[in-house]
Amino acid sequence: MFLALHIFFKLYSQYNKPHKIKNFKSFGSLFPASLGSIGPSIRLLLQSRGQKLELNPSFRNFFLKPYTNKNSAARNLNSDTRVRVTVKTHLCRKNPNLIGKRSRSSFTLAMDFESNYDIATTADFIRTHKFTRVALQFPDDLLKDSTRVVSVLRKRLRSLRESDTTGSGDEPDIGLFVMADTAYGSCCVDEVGASHINADCVIHYGHTCFSPTTTLPAFFVFGKASIGLADCVESMSQYALTSSKPIMVLYGLEYAHSIQQVRKALLESSTFCTSDPKSEVHFADVPSPYMFPSKDTKKLNDLQEETCGCGDNSSSDGASGAAYSIGGLTWKLLEGQSMEDYSLFWIGHDNSAFANVVLRFNACEIVRYDATKSQMVADLSQQRRILKRRYYLVERAKDANIVGILVGTLGVAGYLHIINQMMGLITAAGKKAYTLVMGKPNPAKLANFPECDVFLYVSCAQTALLDSKDYLAPVITPFEATIAFNRGSQWTGAYVMGFGDLINLPQVQVGNQEEARFSFLKGGYVEDFENQENNVEEEREDLALANATEKALQLRDNCNSIIKGGAKSGAEFFANRTYQGLNIPDDNTTPQSFVIGRKGRAAGYEDENNKH
Amino acid sequence: MVKFTADELRRIMDYKHNIRNMSVIAHVDHGKSTLTDSLVAAAGIIAQEVAGDVRMTDTRADEAERGITIKSTGISLYYEMTDDSLKSFKGERNGNEYLINLIDSPGHVDFSSEVTAALRITDGALVVVDCVEGVCVQTETVLRQALGERIRPVLTVNKMDRCFLELQVDGEEAYQTFSRVIENANVIMATYEDPLLGDVQVYPEKGTVAFSAGLHGWAFTLTNFAKMYASKFGVDETKMMERLWGENFFDPATKKWTTKNTGSATCKRGFVQFCYEPIKQVINTCMNDQKDKLWPMLTKLGITMKSEEKDLMGKPLMKRVMQTWLPASTALLEMMIFHLPSPSTAQRYRVENLYEGPLDDQYATAIRNCDPEGPLMLYVSKMIPASDKGRFFAFGRVFSGKVSTGLKVRIMGPNFVPGEKKDLYVKSVQRTVIWMGKRQETVEDVPCGNTVAMVGLDQFITKNATLTNEKEVDAHPIRAMKFSVSPVVRVAVQCKVASDLPKLVEGLKRLAKSDPMVVCTIEESGEHIVAGAGELHLEICLKDLQDDFMGGAEIIKSDPVVSFRETVLERSCRTVMSKSPNKHNRLYMEARPLEDGLAEAIDDGKIGPRDDPKNRSKILSEEYGWDKDLAKKIWCFGPETTGPNMVVDMCKGVQYLNEIKDSVVAGFQWASKEGALSEENMRAICFEVCDVVLHTDAIHRGGGQIIPTARRVFYASQLTAKPRLLEPVYMVEIQAPEQALGGIYSVLNQKRGHVFEEMQRPGTPLYNIKAYLPVIESFGFSSQLRAATSGQAFPQCVFDHWDMMSSDPLEAGSQAATLVTDIRKRKGLKEQMTPLSEFEDKL
Repeated sequence: MFLALHIFFKLYSQYNKPHKIKNFKSFGSLFPASLGSIGPSIRLLLQSRGQKLELNPSFRNFFLKPYTNKNSAARNLNSDTRVRVTVKTHLCRKNPNLIGKRSRSSFTLAMDFESNYDIATTADFIRTHKFTRVALQFPDDLLKDSTRVVSVLRKRLRSLRESDTTGSGDEPDIGLFVMADTAYGSCCVDEVGASHINADCVIHYGHTCFSPTTTLPAFFVFGKASIGLADCVESMSQYALTSSKPIMVLYGLEYAHSIQQVRKALLESSTFCTSDPKSEVHFADVPSPYMFPSKDTKKLNDLQEETCGCGDNSSSDGASGAAYSIGGLTWKLLEGQSMEDYSLFWIGHDNSAFANVVLRFNACEIVRYDATKSQMVADLSQQRRILKRRYYLVERAKDANIVGILVGTLGVAGYLHIINQMMGLITAAGKKAYTLVMGKPNPAKLANFPECDVFLYVSCAQTALLDSKDYLAPVITPFEATIAFNRGSQWTGAYVMGFGDLINLPQVQVGNQEEARFSFLKGGYVEDFENQENNVEEEREDLALANATEKALQLRDNCNSIIKGGAKSGAEFFANRTYQGLNIPDDNTTPQSFVIGRKGRAAGYEDENNKH
Repeated sequence: MVKFTADELRRIMDYKHNIRNMSVIAHVDHGKSTLTDSLVAAAGIIAQEVAGDVRMTDTRADEAERGITIKSTGISLYYEMTDDSLKSFKGERNGNEYLINLIDSPGHVDFSSEVTAALRITDGALVVVDCVEGVCVQTETVLRQALGERIRPVLTVNKMDRCFLELQVDGEEAYQTFSRVIENANVIMATYEDPLLGDVQVYPEKGTVAFSAGLHGWAFTLTNFAKMYASKFGVDETKMMERLWGENFFDPATKKWTTKNTGSATCKRGFVQFCYEPIKQVINTCMNDQKDKLWPMLTKLGITMKSEEKDLMGKPLMKRVMQTWLPASTALLEMMIFHLPSPSTAQRYRVENLYEGPLDDQYATAIRNCDPEGPLMLYVSKMIPASDKGRFFAFGRVFSGKVSTGLKVRIMGPNFVPGEKKDLYVKSVQRTVIWMGKRQETVEDVPCGNTVAMVGLDQFITKNATLTNEKEVDAHPIRAMKFSVSPVVRVAVQCKVASDLPKLVEGLKRLAKSDPMVVCTIEESGEHIVAGAGELHLEICLKDLQDDFMGGAEIIKSDPVVSFRETVLERSCRTVMSKSPNKHNRLYMEARPLEDGLAEAIDDGKIGPRDDPKNRSKILSEEYGWDKDLAKKIWCFGPETTGPNMVVDMCKGVQYLNEIKDSVVAGFQWASKEGALSEENMRAICFEVCDVVLHTDAIHRGGGQIIPTARRVFYASQLTAKPRLLEPVYMVEIQAPEQALGGIYSVLNQKRGHVFEEMQRPGTPLYNIKAYLPVIESFGFSSQLRAATSGQAFPQCVFDHWDMMSSDPLEAGSQAATLVTDIRKRKGLKEQMTPLSEFEDKL
């Protein structure tokens, strides 16, 4: 029934030679014609970008192979389904002096570097868990530091091994692999990429969404952004004075390192929090940087709770109410309180993590403290607008007939479960679902599927919101899909991003199914007659196929080729197109004399140079 | 003191010749509801004394408060005629009892959808015209609608009391006024004449015109007076009637009839002599309390007054006397029974208008014959909110068969297509109800020819539907109604408390159901929009929404929002080109405005995507000067595949062009829905595909490459063709006395309106002013106008056309540019328009 297109596409190339991929043609041969329209689009994309050979980041996946361990890595990478362009270069070996000189000349800088990248803790983590093959995952903006991190980390590991003489001296060298440019969001742990090199753990650098992993343990290095402590405390206490509600402080993970100091400074600077219980300030717990996979998706929340280690216990003193967790931050509220009773104070950038918080706690008053500019931002109308916009998209999705499920992650725990759940949901709503795997979506890629009325993007919480203005069809999240496709469920303002919450979401009891659905897009009642038909078909399942074919073969009016929402399935959509392919039985059977076609490149054929 | 019971009513329902279904239609404030009161009083539902003050059919609190009718209200009346009065009746009848299903409709133009719904389920119409104001714009509109539905009209010249009390005009002058009113109405009726309906014009001498004073509850037709004088003069009644109207003069001195005024002082027109003067005399005597003169006069007229009534003074006395002498109900009901068709007569010629299917199948036959034994055919024309909040009665008319409590019916919605299951439900009717004033009475069943309300179907009927028996699977639905107004005024609503959103959503659904005209939609930005026909309509809708459908939860409404259209002024200054994301495909395009009138023709469905290409090219080449071959190369219309924009293929000999057609069309639907200026719909733009360069490999020119590119090139060509905004414009008709004209002009000037017609009503001090007024300026217009003219002018606004704003939206600071910025801000877009360079590529 479902035309499932599972296309896994990876490109590996050597890190420092992106401009010299010679055997470019071989990419094309990867895609058999039978793959349908997705193959061409990807191929096309490659070619268009190929001019500059600055490949679309989503397709790049660089492995910097350290010289100590290159043979085993090469062996593991060998797979006939993937293209590999192997050019041996050893960045570190080429100019070893560079790093050495720098570190010698500025010792403090190196210390900063080590602490910023948590080298010591990382090494401890690897060492204690006895990992032997470790993937280091860098986002694009930190890639420049990757070689240094590797060399420093290696040095540290080596020294650890030497100091630790209790074990047998001849344990193998630990393999470190740099992994960059993940196929999906760089905030998620790229488990698929890591498993290509048989890694048994992933060290993730930079901004993270803290989505739980499926198979591999992960260690997160958040980085350490600087913060003006005094100024931050100043604005915080000022805000606390004006606010009538207690304050919950949330922060970007890059500021996690200084939260303890902020808390201490706040306590020292004033005594107001003791005098007025209303202006209490609570802090979310600092998450533990470790994460171990949990197979049981139902217990995703528990998993997060048990990992909170290095947070201060005093904040959750006596707290036994509801526990919250978002993007790695966890906190507990007092008994009988809900988030509406708090004001939120966010320290950090206006990034996807913040957008996530705003959407999730849209009923709370939220201010943001921008640590780089050292100022408070209270105007969040743009963020609020997003919520309304998402509401519109839900209404739009209700009218959709064909839904394309975009697989936007292959790592976040529970993604398969969600895809299946969504598939069931869509089918139950009498709509058609197609599953598409295409890495990071962009408008051109999705426009290759004009038959889809709406796309459902299954991905980690922080990459889930795609602004859909450029897209031909809207892109919605699984939570929104749950609202849209469950008849009777209502948009209450509650908003959930993570899979874990979604899986645990209670199934809405579908109330009155029979009333025609009101479509706010069309401004009137429409009825989804599939609901009625389903009942009939169940009775005589043996005839189901015959019925389906009968419908597929209906003769349609040809005038309106592409009406959004007209077709009920991909096949029907194609049947309605005006162009059906080459017309073989042409009445003109006399042979035609050949003509000379165009010459030149597509960017400007020879016969039209002077035309425009 | 109700004179009849539901059982009695039910009994007459079976006599299809003794039923009259009629609606009361008129311009606002011409006295429909007041007149209806007199009829209701005659049926004994309200006391005769208060008739004219109660406005029985204005059932809603806000209707009573504002003094206007908002919803059309149905009411069933039982009326027994005397043998004597029926002796001249030629048609078929079954006893002397008559059932009149009467629907009072609103006169304000904002609610004309209610009139449409009322007309569909009636066969006759009582057109009420104010004798002083005459035929107004809304009179004309509703008359046109009525005749379009093949509704036979009768006329009543209302507010006669104004002639006698307020204006004190003399007989001849009054006659001229009345005859002009009737003539004006006849002119309209003659325009929409229909051979099947026959002569629909009205003639006082034939008894199809009544003269009434709704407020005082009296009315007469010439028949009344003819009967009175026929015996006296010893002439035939019909002959007498003819003499009472037109160029017939009587000189009491010579006792001779002439066809010309002889010039002698005593020679007067028949009407004046025998109808107008006696009434004037009675009224004057009553008002002057000359009781000594009055009693003999009344005895002469054969009127007996009750003793307690004799103590009345002045106006109440006059009212009572006139009601006894010339009861409105007798005159009007007689006129209806004699001159309006029974369902069985009317359905004979209406079936063609009503039934969508073949006119020779059993359903058409059953409708034609009004066959109670035939298959059920019932049209639900509106949903009436029940006292139980959120539930509705389905109100409609049985055209054939019977509908009964518990009957299983097939509900065919407006989107139903015979043979498919779309928009089709099979459900049972919980209860059948008839309306008796403010009360509803449950009856066992209702046979054809009657109006009925049904309980238990509201979940399956959205706005209107056709009902038939469960088994009748091959029945076609009854044609959907066409509305004469369109919802152009919109407000965004949101709830004060965010968690009330589900309530709001539910309320909007109910609102959409209760009113056939209101449209509830959602904007791209996520705001809920309620659109109505006018300011007043919207105000009523929002009140209903908040009080009835949301249980009083508070809502915030935005200022009224008007939607604009984007168009172009000239042909693109150059051919623009856009490249696909892979740079391998190039589309070249130009935009130009559509010929004058072509966009309207597309709106009206004269030209559309479903036409036969040959016909289309004929119309285009003959009426709009298109090249014949070019007319065959129209790729599509848009937005929504039917809108007033098109894409035309001007390419010569390009390869693969047919392959990308679908993608370009998809891009066009997208782009024409959200124009480049402010994401409003485009209008009247023709896009010409001048050339395309495509990659030879099919996979490099798929939808992913072409659709976004097509959208960009559409925008680029729009921006290079002097883009302009179109704003909606109302046609305003104002009627006011001369001294108010100055105020009207100054308010119109302030509001960017301009007068295009000013006409004095012959014989009155009133002026008729027609003007164009931008919809965006119309908010608060009527209150300002009232203030400026001390309440003497009352405007009626109807959407008329789209008008181009002359200022250039691309020029910073111009009026159009400010508007564009405002719209973009409201929609949550970047305030700056996307520059042309984003859409156009260089080679």
